[in-house]
Amino acid sequence: MSNLIIERPLPHGGRLVERVVRDPEIGKKMAKGCPAYDIKPTLHFETGVPVRNVYREIMSICYGFFSPVEGSMTQAEVERILKERRLLNEWIFPYPLVFDISKEDYQKLGVTVGDRVLLRLKGKPFAVLDVEEVYEIDPPELADKTFGTPEDNPEVVRERFDKKHPGWVIYRSLNPIVLAGKYTIINEPKFRPPFDRFWLPPRKCREKFDELGWRTAIAHQTRNVPHVGHEFLMKNAAYTGDVEPCHGILVNAIIGVKRRGDYPDEAIVEGHEAVHTGGYIKPERHLVSICLWDMRYGNPLESLLHGIIRQNMGCTHHMFGRDHAAVGEYYDMYATQILWTKGIPSFGFDKPPTEVPYGLHIKPQNMKEFWYCPKCGEIAYSDNCNHTKEKQKFSGSFIRGMVAEGIFPPGVIFRPEVYKVVVKWWKHFGYPFCNEKYVKEKEKNLEVDLPDMDI
Amino acid sequence: MAHFMVLLLDEKRLNALKGSGLEDKIIDLFGGALKGLNIEVPEELEKKIMEEFASARIDSRGAITDVPVAFNRTLFEEVAKQKSIGPEVIEGVLNRINEVKEAAAKESEYLPPPDIEV
Repeated sequence: MSNLIIERPLPHGGRLVERVVRDPEIGKKMAKGCPAYDIKPTLHFETGVPVRNVYREIMSICYGFFSPVEGSMTQAEVERILKERRLLNEWIFPYPLVFDISKEDYQKLGVTVGDRVLLRLKGKPFAVLDVEEVYEIDPPELADKTFGTPEDNPEVVRERFDKKHPGWVIYRSLNPIVLAGKYTIINEPKFRPPFDRFWLPPRKCREKFDELGWRTAIAHQTRNVPHVGHEFLMKNAAYTGDVEPCHGILVNAIIGVKRRGDYPDEAIVEGHEAVHTGGYIKPERHLVSICLWDMRYGNPLESLLHGIIRQNMGCTHHMFGRDHAAVGEYYDMYATQILWTKGIPSFGFDKPPTEVPYGLHIKPQNMKEFWYCPKCGEIAYSDNCNHTKEKQKFSGSFIRGMVAEGIFPPGVIFRPEVYKVVVKWWKHFGYPFCNEKYVKEKEKNLEVDLPDMDI
Repeated sequence: MAHFMVLLLDEKRLNALKGSGLEDKIIDLFGGALKGLNIEVPEELEKKIMEEFASARIDSRGAITDVPVAFNRTLFEEVAKQKSIGPEVIEGVLNRINEVKEAAAKESEYLPPPDIEV
């Protein structure tokens, strides 16, 4: 076979982590007699609004999205990540992931190293945590070190992180006590519609690729309802591949805590689905999936996590745009491109993450912008179209404004099938975007329900 | 640098502007699929909009966006009333700030969905 052929990469770390007990009887035995702790959302350190729920991390770890991570990290592991963005087993990883509880809850729980804790979600058994270490963190310091500072990371950090940054707020709002150790899900949650049909954990996703005959697949990160600019980004980025374009496009929507003004998650996943049900991309070539994660908006660091998630899901390529997973101007707008083409030494990468030992194999496809050009009469790529005066940019906020005013968007902005999904959920929630009511309800109900389990 | 606001015009709004003398100011967006008016916002008025509406921002085109729907509706009323797209229409909206905020508060809980078959 030609040496130009690209094969599906192995999972990050060499094997997929799967820490899910499928037999409820075994699950019950594992949790019997354990002290129980009810998972609580992480609340904003000032406003008390939910900003994260650790259940999403437990799900993503136990189903292998974050392979090779297996649990809440030890102090030494957190320190290594902050210094070199590597786990203790050498594999690269961008963020500290910890199970944090308050001092009061820790005293009440009364556990120590060697104990097993039953974690309940929505009042029902969910997972166990085998405690390997208990330690204290300083949340403000952890928040700063996680994202970097202009002094320590001058290559890409432009402004000091503060409470306007939602990722910094997550770390700043953590409780001070960390229980470190491996998680195991003992009672599999059931996703509610519409999320159930988009739940494709890495093993299943790889099986789906086999079924579809995809050797190469390019990942599209999203937290948005797709406008036509997104559709063209997907189609055109997918022309990369090896001796032929990528066989498939994996849309992977990050599902987590929402901010006011975002589109509801239900509209995001079904909006992407409408791209193939509407025939704009063949369903044989386009797959929509989800991953649970409360976005940290860490631009280059988030792109590293995205690379890990999608390599674990079986993708060969990943598209990245300007200001990838960014908010505000904390990072250079091309920080992700700098990471994947040159590396960021102050974050531990003197080379791109695909060229360092224990790095990634997924290939970055850095894309610029698509706009509508009335002169070309088409959606044009910014490096092709020279009609810079005539161009019409796909501004997300402009499109949100148009939607809010109830103006039926033209087909060059939203495909009618996609817009109808937006309106479907607008009718359901009484609002086209996430408002306070939606955000509160979502964090109360989460995306899953749990079966009864008597222990 | 002064930024601008794009006021979208649907059929109803286009009809309301007939005979206003603003017809030649109407711009084509996305190849004529949308019509709109570009309204330049002087810096001091932009500052006021930003102060009054926490959600407001400047997008990648240099346009002021993410203001409440009530703001845009009032802006259109001022344009139609004053038959102008000068700074006085923005001033007109800011003079009605309490009315806009009251409507925006109601609209933050509920917005009527368009009457289309889904």
